[in-house]
Amino acid sequence: MAENGIQSVFSRFIKIKPNELKISFLLFFYLFLVIAAYNVVKPIRNASFLEELGYQRLPLVYLLTAGLIGFVVTIHAKIQVKISRYSLIMCSILFFFITCVVFRFFSGSGWKGFPVIFWVWANIFIIVLNTQFWIAVNGILNPREFKRQSGFFISGGILGGFIGGVLAGYLARENVDYNLLFLSAVLLSGAALFVHLIFRTQKGERPVERIRKKMRSEDKAGTASRPGFRDCYNTVKKHSYLRFIATIVALTLVVSTLIDFQWNIVVKESREGDLTSFFGYFNAGLMVFAFLLSILMTSNLFERYGIRLPLLIYPVVLLLCFLGIGVAATLVMAIIIKGSDKSLSYSINRSARELLFIPVSPEQKYKAIVFIDMFVDRFSKGLGAVVLMIILSFGIQDYREIIRVVSLVSVVLILAWIVSTLSASREYINSIKQKLSPFRKRADRVFEDELDVSYAKLIFDTLESKGRSSDLYAMHLFDLMKHGKLTPELRKLLAAGPEEPEAVSFGTFFEADHSALIRPSSEISNDHSLIKEIQDIMSLDIYETVIKDYLEKALSGKGPKAEMERMIVAKGIGFLAPDSPLVAVLDELLLDDSAEVRKYAIESASKLGKRGHVPALIQSLNDFPNQRDASAALESYGTRITGILADYLFDSEENIGLRRAVASILANIGNQEAADFILWELDTDKREMDKELIDALDRMRAEKQTIKYSDRILKKKLREEIMGYYRDYISFAEAESKGTETELCRTLSLGMSKSMMNIFKLLGLIYPREDIVKAYQDIQTGTKDSIAYAVELLDNTLEKEIRNAVLPILEELSQEDRVKACKALQKDFPEFE
Amino acid sequence: MEIHAREKDNIIIFDIEGEIRRSDVSDVTLHQLVKDQLDVGKRNFLLNFKNVEFIDSFGVGEILASYISTHNLGGKLKIAKISKKLYLVFQVTMLTKVLEIFDEEEVALNSFLGD
Repeated sequence: MAENGIQSVFSRFIKIKPNELKISFLLFFYLFLVIAAYNVVKPIRNASFLEELGYQRLPLVYLLTAGLIGFVVTIHAKIQVKISRYSLIMCSILFFFITCVVFRFFSGSGWKGFPVIFWVWANIFIIVLNTQFWIAVNGILNPREFKRQSGFFISGGILGGFIGGVLAGYLARENVDYNLLFLSAVLLSGAALFVHLIFRTQKGERPVERIRKKMRSEDKAGTASRPGFRDCYNTVKKHSYLRFIATIVALTLVVSTLIDFQWNIVVKESREGDLTSFFGYFNAGLMVFAFLLSILMTSNLFERYGIRLPLLIYPVVLLLCFLGIGVAATLVMAIIIKGSDKSLSYSINRSARELLFIPVSPEQKYKAIVFIDMFVDRFSKGLGAVVLMIILSFGIQDYREIIRVVSLVSVVLILAWIVSTLSASREYINSIKQKLSPFRKRADRVFEDELDVSYAKLIFDTLESKGRSSDLYAMHLFDLMKHGKLTPELRKLLAAGPEEPEAVSFGTFFEADHSALIRPSSEISNDHSLIKEIQDIMSLDIYETVIKDYLEKALSGKGPKAEMERMIVAKGIGFLAPDSPLVAVLDELLLDDSAEVRKYAIESASKLGKRGHVPALIQSLNDFPNQRDASAALESYGTRITGILADYLFDSEENIGLRRAVASILANIGNQEAADFILWELDTDKREMDKELIDALDRMRAEKQTIKYSDRILKKKLREEIMGYYRDYISFAEAESKGTETELCRTLSLGMSKSMMNIFKLLGLIYPREDIVKAYQDIQTGTKDSIAYAVELLDNTLEKEIRNAVLPILEELSQEDRVKACKALQKDFPEFE
Repeated sequence: MEIHAREKDNIIIFDIEGEIRRSDVSDVTLHQLVKDQLDVGKRNFLLNFKNVEFIDSFGVGEILASYISTHNLGGKLKIAKISKKLYLVFQVTMLTKVLEIFDEEEVALNSFLGD
């Protein structure tokens, strides 16, 4: 019961799923203990330095830290490719544990350099352990999980900072109490325990392990880049996305340094005597605010607004604050700007910034995190200090004037920050797309691209006719010749017979019946003049006179021989000129009793392209054996007949199979008019042809990006499909719970699959098709990560109302939760505008 | 083009040599020669294409015109020893359904007796 209570609180307010609670808590405590340990060390560091060396030497250690961090990056980069992440983190914690104890024992040495070394060590402590925490998170969570959980476990860090500071304040017995280093060591050992538990929950080889192995083998082959600072730097430099992230981090920290400076000036000018107390209460309040912000707002913001708004909140709020403090440099404004800076930096912005790394490939990610979170972080603070020194070098005396100049500089930097953020959030989506499986074309496109179907059919017809009729066989050969397809290889194939396995000549070309005694010859070729001659002959008036009687006799005969004659006639008519009066014979042949005769008639009608044959061809769509040929024939008419086809499409009294075939033909014709007709039919409330119509539109979109579709109709249909899915899902859940309704469950399951396909096809008509198809393909594969990346792409692509309606179908939810979501959305379904 | 006529068993055999093409039309065409024979009461004709190197649609038109003229007077016109290419043309144009075509002259001549 208590567990269910905790789960419902977490799922309601913090959006963490029940199966994610364990890892969330482990990460929470890991970060809590690391930050707490640092916040015990930090006061010792500050007190030690100020007591021994004074604040005048602070710039020295700032610069020293910034300079040494490059070496830290180099060493870290070299080590991280050689050992596992688990070993890296545990060894680092062990190192800082041991050095805590060592520093405690050497603290009484009296050496002047000790506070400097201690200061630098403390900074490296937090840089390394904090960065390693994010390295661990990047290897564990996909973007969806990160969005849900990050607010919670980051609040662990904030809480750790608060508790660490309180513990240091409460337990310190001396001015500089190095004994607290033992407390820090104990907190670190707690962190190690949680690291161990976290990695125990992760099964199987993680990507970084595979990369490590790959790099080892590349190293042996001499092809690897040497790991180190330069390698990390080059990795960031080469990729625009990583450069944007580095720019954001750099600008954030420079601006934060400027804010800190303004804050200190205003507080000093506004308050007398109780600065320590004031700072103490302010920091405590700040931590509480940041904690609540992180735990309550982060996942909600991600859920509602994706990544862009959480990234933009921070710079936009600061921009407004700088405008405010530039006008009125009061304590209230200073509290607002400082409070906004730190609370947003620790909470929402930190989550959003780290989320940017999640979709980066492992080869680049770990180098980039090390470079940006370690080097850029410290370097930028130094850069901020340089900016301040430049401003102060102008000798401005009035503090309000200094505030104004700093604000102006900060506004410029923030505008650059906003631009970088917008670029990074666009690139984030591109990075997500790269995590999806490669795009697969529609199967019918692959088939049509790879295979000349009509040519293949012609070869089969040619081979088949060889044994039946030399006249028909000759006509097929002529057809092949006309299309330039009578290749030497095909001639060999056609020439070979069962009694002549070695036949390589065109020898048996005409041996179909006994009266054809033509000898093999190399005369026959793809001969344009031959084609022209035949056309000329068939256009002679005298030819029409001679052949007319034969045609009339052929049409009136009965029996297999007569059928063959009619087949020959049907085929031969296709070689006539369209305006030849003999073509009229085709009208009868299109309605012939014999399917084979109709097939050749359809083929000839296609060649002739006369509008008069179109109604007969459309009716041939009902002729099962010849439906495909009739479709191909109608497609060959092209855009001339879209209007006629549309009449049949709209006629609800016409056979549904015929209307579906017409929709398919319109899709293959594929012009704007055809698309409009299909959309108008889709817009009616009849649902009997939705699947075919949506498929037709999808096919057209796959072929041509330039065709425009009515968003209104597509969104209306999308809404219907989604609501249909909800209804089926709710019924399915009810039926499954009864356990006896297996047939119903099967039917509903099939219906949901069809709805899902239609939903994605419709989305592919509204949004970039390739992205939607890739997302659908990954959702179908069904692995946790593939679905997560697909859903993340959709989360960042779809408009808000559509997203809110579609994602509950796709997210990993329990049946109970999905039913609840479906019922809630049924009651309050968003309008798609 | 040259056309030589000979007679055997009351059948007029036209031995055609050379090329029958539109551009080489002269006063003496195949159709005219057939008509001349029809005028003197001949009714059976065999066209021998053994030495024909080339024939275009004009030539086919001449054959068909000769066929019609003969057929209209109750006669018969048959063809022997045409090239594979020409046979293909006749098959594609369905003229094999109208014209009787033979590989050997003797077989063709015997077919007149059978008729």
